[in-house]
Amino acid sequence: MSVWLALSPLLAMVATGLVAMLVDVLVRSPASDADTRGDLAIITTVGLFASAALALGLWGSGPSVALPESLGGVVAVDRFGLFFAATIGLGGGLSALIAGGYLAEHGIERGEYYPLIAFSCAGAALMAMATDLLVLFVGLETMSLAVYCLAGFRRGSRKSLEGALKYFLLGSFAAAFLLFGIALLYVLAASTRIAEISEALRGAAGSSPIAVLALVLLLTGLGFKISAVPFHMWTPDAYEGAPTPVTAFMSVVVKAAAFAALLRVLLVAFGGTALGASVGWPQIVAFFAVASMSVGNLVAIWQKNVKRMLAYSSIAHAGYVLVGVLAAWKGAPEGRAGVLFYLLSYTVMNIGAFACVAYFGRRDAEAVHTSDFAGVARQHPAAALALATFMVALTGMPPTAGFFAKLYVFRSAIDAGLWPLVVVAVLNSAVSAYYYLNLVVTMYMRSPEPGAPVAQPMRSGAIATAIVICALLVLHLGIWPSRLLSMALEAGW
Amino acid sequence: MTAQYIPLVVLLGVAGVLVVTFFLLSSILGKKNMTPTKAMPYESGMESHGAAGVRPSVKFYLTAILFVVFDVEAVFLYPWAIEYRSLGWAGLVMMLGFLVVLALGLLYVWKKGALEWE
Repeated sequence: MSVWLALSPLLAMVATGLVAMLVDVLVRSPASDADTRGDLAIITTVGLFASAALALGLWGSGPSVALPESLGGVVAVDRFGLFFAATIGLGGGLSALIAGGYLAEHGIERGEYYPLIAFSCAGAALMAMATDLLVLFVGLETMSLAVYCLAGFRRGSRKSLEGALKYFLLGSFAAAFLLFGIALLYVLAASTRIAEISEALRGAAGSSPIAVLALVLLLTGLGFKISAVPFHMWTPDAYEGAPTPVTAFMSVVVKAAAFAALLRVLLVAFGGTALGASVGWPQIVAFFAVASMSVGNLVAIWQKNVKRMLAYSSIAHAGYVLVGVLAAWKGAPEGRAGVLFYLLSYTVMNIGAFACVAYFGRRDAEAVHTSDFAGVARQHPAAALALATFMVALTGMPPTAGFFAKLYVFRSAIDAGLWPLVVVAVLNSAVSAYYYLNLVVTMYMRSPEPGAPVAQPMRSGAIATAIVICALLVLHLGIWPSRLLSMALEAGW
Repeated sequence: MTAQYIPLVVLLGVAGVLVVTFFLLSSILGKKNMTPTKAMPYESGMESHGAAGVRPSVKFYLTAILFVVFDVEAVFLYPWAIEYRSLGWAGLVMMLGFLVVLALGLLYVWKKGALEWE
C-alpha cells in the first residue's frame, strides 16, 4: 500500500486545514456579510468526518498497515492509532459544526478558527500514531499551539484571555517536562523509538534511577494534558473562558490524544520492565486516578456555572479513564479496549453536552448558570431532552453510552484485581449523579424566577445537527455497543 | 553507577561555595559609594528614556514569527540539498510538498495583510 494512502487520515486533516485557510483569504471578503454563510464550518466538518471515515476505511487492511522503510518506523498506522484518528476526526468535526452556529451568533466568526481546529486534529492524530517520542512531541505541540490560540479566541473577553494565558503558560511548562523525560529516556536507550526504549528498559537500564525520573516527568507532562489532579488547576478557567465549541474540543480531542500517548508510553515503553513491575509507579497512577475522580466530582457539586461544572466533570472522567489505563497496564485483557471505548463514548456525550450549552445562548445572553436553565423543558422540549440524555450519559446510566463505557472500564479493573479503585469510582459516580441530574431537575421541574428570562436557544441548524448526531451516537453506543466494542478490542498495536 | 558522578557534585559544591564567598567578601569589604548615575539602569552606556514597560507593536512579533518560519524552511532545505541525489524523486516530491504548504502559508499571511507595515 502506498504511503500516501496509509497516512491518508492525517493528510486529509492537514488538507482540510489548508483548504479552509485558503477559502478564508481567497473567497471570503472581509467587508461582506459572507461571515454568516458557514462555508468554512461545512468544509472543515466534512473534511474531518472524511478523515475519520478514511481511518475506518483502513481498518480492513489488517491489524497494522505496513509502511515503507524510508519513514524509519516513527509512525505506525495500526488499529490503535486508527481508532483514535477516527475518534479525533469525529470530535473535531463536531466541534467545527458547533462553531458554525456559535461563532456567527456571538460575533467572533473569524476564519482562523477552522484551520486551527483541523491542524490541531492532525497533531492529535499524529500523537496517537507516533511510535517515536520526538514525533509524539511534535504532534503534541502541533495540537497544543492551535488550542492555545483557540482558547483565547474571544479576544475582547478578559476571561477568555485569562484562561488562554494560564493554559499557554502551564501547557508550555508541561511540554518542557515531557521533553525532559524524553531526553532522559534517550540517555538510557540512545534512541527515541518507543520499541527500542522498551528493549533498553527491559535490560539493566530499567532499574536505573534515571528511568524513574523519566517516568515521573512523562507522567507530569501527559497528566497535564488529560487534566488529571494535581495537574488540573488550569482546567476550570480555560474551559470557562474559551468559546463553548473550543471547550468541547479541548475536553475530548486533546484528552483522547493525550490518553493515546499515555497508553503507548506506559504499556509499550514501560510495560513488562523492572520499573513497571515494581510497586512504585502503578501506585502513582492509582493516586492520580483517585484524586482526579474525587476532587473533580466533589468540586463540581459546588459549581453554579455549567461550563465550570463540566470542566470539573471532565477532570473526574479523566480519573475514570486512568482506572482503565491502570487495569490495562496490570494486564487485564480488555483494559485497553475499555479505555478506547470510554474515550469514544466520552467524545460523543461531552460534545453533545457542550453543544446543548452552546445552543441555549443567544448573543449577549448565554445561559451559563444552572439557574438559567430553569423551565426550559416546557418551552424547548427537544433541546432539553437532548441535554438530559447527555447528562444521564455522563452519569453513566443505561441506556446510554456512558453506562457501557463505565461498565467495561470497571469490569477490566476488577479483572486486574483493582477492586479498591473500582469502589472509589462507583462511589464517585453516585456523587456525580447529584450535579448532573440537578441540571435535569432544574430544566424539568423548576420554574424560572419571576421576571427572569428563560434561556433562549439560537436558531442554528449546524448546532442542532451536531446535537442530533451526538444524541444518536450516545444512544447507539448505549443500546448496541457490541460492534464498536469489538472494534476497540481489535485495536492493537 | 552513581559513583562516577561524585566529582561532578564536588565541582558544583566548590563552585557554589566560591560564588557565595566572593559575594559576601565584596559586600563586607568593598566600599559603597552610590551616585545617581550608578543607580541608573544600564543600557549600554546610553542614557535611559522612559519606563521599562513599553508595549512594542505586535508587528515586530509577526515579523519575527515569519522569520522563524522561513528560517526553519532553510534548515530543512540544506540537508535535503546535500542528499539530493540519493533521495531521488521521492525526496523531490516530499520537499515540493513541504514547499507548497509553506507557500500556501505565505499566501495566507500576504492576503491577511501581515506583510504590510503600515
